[in-house]
Amino acid sequence: MAAATELARDLAALVGDAHVRVDEGALTAYARDATPLFHARPQAVVLPGSTEEVAAVLRYATDRGVPVVPRGAGSNLCAGTVPLHGGIVLVLTRLDRVLEVSAGELLARVQTGVTTQKLADAAAREGLLYAPDPGSRTVSTIGGNVATCAGGLRGLKYGVTRNYVLGLEAVLPTGEIIRTGGRLWKDVAGYDLTRLLTGSEGTLAVITEATVALLPAPEDSGTGVAYFDSLADASRAVAAVIAAGIVPATLEFLDHKCIAAVEEFAGLGLRTDAGALLMFGDDGAPRTVAGTLARIAEVCTGAGALEVTLAEDVTRAEALLAARRCALPALSRLGSLTILEDATVPRHRLAEMVDRIDAIAARYDLRIATFGHAGDGNLHPTCVLDPDDGAAVDRAHRAFGEIFAAAIALDGTITGEHGVGAAKLPYLADRIGADQIALARRLKLAFDPAGILNPGKLGS
Amino acid sequence: MTGPTDDSPRPAPEPGRGLGIFDKRQLDRCISCGFCLPACPTYALTGEETSSPRGRITLMRALETGELPEDDPTLAEESSYCLGCRACETVCPAGVEYGSLLEQWRDHQWQGRDRPWIARILMALVSRPALLWLQGLVRRHARGGGSGGSGGSGADPDTASLMLGCVERGLYPKVSRAAAALRPELGVPARQGCCGALHAHNGDSTTGGEMAHALGERLPGTIVTTAGGCAAHLAHHLGRDRVRELSQYLEETGHRPTGQVTVDGRRARAALQDSCHLRNGLGVTRQPRDLIAAVADYVELPGAGECCGAAGTYAMLRPADSRAVLDPKLEALARLDVDFVVTVNPGCQRQLQQNLRRHRSPVRAVHLAEFLAMAGP
Repeated sequence: MAAATELARDLAALVGDAHVRVDEGALTAYARDATPLFHARPQAVVLPGSTEEVAAVLRYATDRGVPVVPRGAGSNLCAGTVPLHGGIVLVLTRLDRVLEVSAGELLARVQTGVTTQKLADAAAREGLLYAPDPGSRTVSTIGGNVATCAGGLRGLKYGVTRNYVLGLEAVLPTGEIIRTGGRLWKDVAGYDLTRLLTGSEGTLAVITEATVALLPAPEDSGTGVAYFDSLADASRAVAAVIAAGIVPATLEFLDHKCIAAVEEFAGLGLRTDAGALLMFGDDGAPRTVAGTLARIAEVCTGAGALEVTLAEDVTRAEALLAARRCALPALSRLGSLTILEDATVPRHRLAEMVDRIDAIAARYDLRIATFGHAGDGNLHPTCVLDPDDGAAVDRAHRAFGEIFAAAIALDGTITGEHGVGAAKLPYLADRIGADQIALARRLKLAFDPAGILNPGKLGS
Repeated sequence: MTGPTDDSPRPAPEPGRGLGIFDKRQLDRCISCGFCLPACPTYALTGEETSSPRGRITLMRALETGELPEDDPTLAEESSYCLGCRACETVCPAGVEYGSLLEQWRDHQWQGRDRPWIARILMALVSRPALLWLQGLVRRHARGGGSGGSGGSGADPDTASLMLGCVERGLYPKVSRAAAALRPELGVPARQGCCGALHAHNGDSTTGGEMAHALGERLPGTIVTTAGGCAAHLAHHLGRDRVRELSQYLEETGHRPTGQVTVDGRRARAALQDSCHLRNGLGVTRQPRDLIAAVADYVELPGAGECCGAAGTYAMLRPADSRAVLDPKLEALARLDVDFVVTVNPGCQRQLQQNLRRHRSPVRAVHLAEFLAMAGP
């Protein structure tokens, strides 16, 4: 008790009494993020109001050897923000200002706690587009997006977060404030620390500000839906679309379980009798968009689509995309424990991977629903379970071990966009090998000599 | 690593077992995705997990499993700090019934002396129809001249009864008079009593449900209410078919407002403040807007769907927090250049009226029924 009081008092001296929580309720609430089955309480929750306060907290933590876990909105899906070793949860939501949007320079500078949606809206007001579009964008923060190199629905044509980060302000665990990169598209002065921090999952430094590239907003966009007998059929259609030389902005698929769950929530009139749905979309000049959609529709029909429809207007298109983003939580309507993974394979092996997932699910007697970003081979097989069925939970873990192995065997990876966190750390060596694991540890040590930053995750 | 204050071992309920405070099925629904965070007015104020719907559900779970003791101060604070606006429900893809969970939480949290005294007084007042009748002697509500309904029970599509509402008949008797004048066919039975929403939202959902059913017995046919909050509560207990909020009823019966509301000889400009439970509980948003637009120039208030901070007894129990929720809305209203902000719930009406006055705003808050009456026959 005395230690907890001392910690609270010390932290309050750094960030103010009102921004430190040590009550049991807060410690309970910050014991988890959006990952099921991973809970661990911190000793304190701190909400700094400035980069300098972040630095002060980190210096203190390094001095005392107290773990620090940076956190934005807590929408992480691999236990990346669960304080497995206790310590301080450093919540960055107070750093929520859009500092500038420059139409002239095609960039924006935002504090770390700004939500993806808020940045996208600020850019849109200037006629610009912030392209990365993670499913949780209404909630997730830019700091979290950068820390996990978030992907999303537009990955195929536009890439992912790393393709848009020009520069970062970050605080090292030892308290130094560094600025990497900047307002430049070309800058090779030194190691590319911007890229290194992007996707570092809060293990190397705490990101406090990001400068991101924007694009002119496309004039027009359109979305369509194709239904298939099976996910494997839909996967073959994806391959056919890409082979036809089309790179649409969006190419998402849902299997029949996902269609049913999403339809129940969103009520869009989706065909729940189909085995799979492929949602495709493009943006650009109006005639280009119309042309691309027509060609995709044609290819899908040729690939055996049961039906192809185009959204009649923007509202309908937005509704379809919004519904797709809700696929994961909507799936919890089928069972309250949803274990979601994001194995990713080269897209020409998508159909093969889908078949393997089906076979694994059958072998382990599990209900696995699959949706994902078909265009970039990024699958989200989601196991829906009764949380009280311990035996099924065990089977699910073994099944996911096999799914990861299958993805690696197909030249894929264990995670496309959600990150490694604590949940996938046991599988990381299978993907990157012992030498890279050792290098990651040395790298981590160089940034974080006291090992305080997000221990039990990457580099630990 | 857990918190340092565990002296005694916590009761470790078996998986799936809990203290039975909550409906387990409802509590299990939440997968902690966090999609609710941006919809929550209190999370917007604090940015802290504990005052978000997801965080509150985590707290409920900790209470249910015994991870947190029943007298934990954060449990007490957060069950009270929540507005109960249910905005989180509309954005929840998992279909978590948060409003129902909050009722269960407060049932447990606000037992006996733990219930705020203001809530206790109000609940005692509204559960005595005789006292409501006394209120009626002081101020004439719709029953003064309305045609009497003929008792009886059960849903009858051919008869519809106007519910007077306990708060409304005391504070805004003109509202029910205006509603009755708009639709003379509405019966206005005597001795109505309260619908029980106040009880349900203040820690006594059992009585709240009983009162809803009792009122359902006393009012024949479709129950028409001018209070969005009462509509949602009644619909939950009596079924949606039995209950219509006024704007729904007007629309379904083909009411075409005539005339227009004018200010200084020009057509008035008016905005709507949604009733949270009408919007988030029953999904009614279009009807009141259409009705306003029929008699005035309708202007959408940015954030019209967000809570005004009245939230039933909230404005009385937590006045400072209530005003913190309301202030951005007052600023938005000031920028909007409207003559009226129209409400569809007496709590919102009181909240906006009092605070617009406090800010010396020229904008007037009026209930939809009164607003339509102002347009003339």
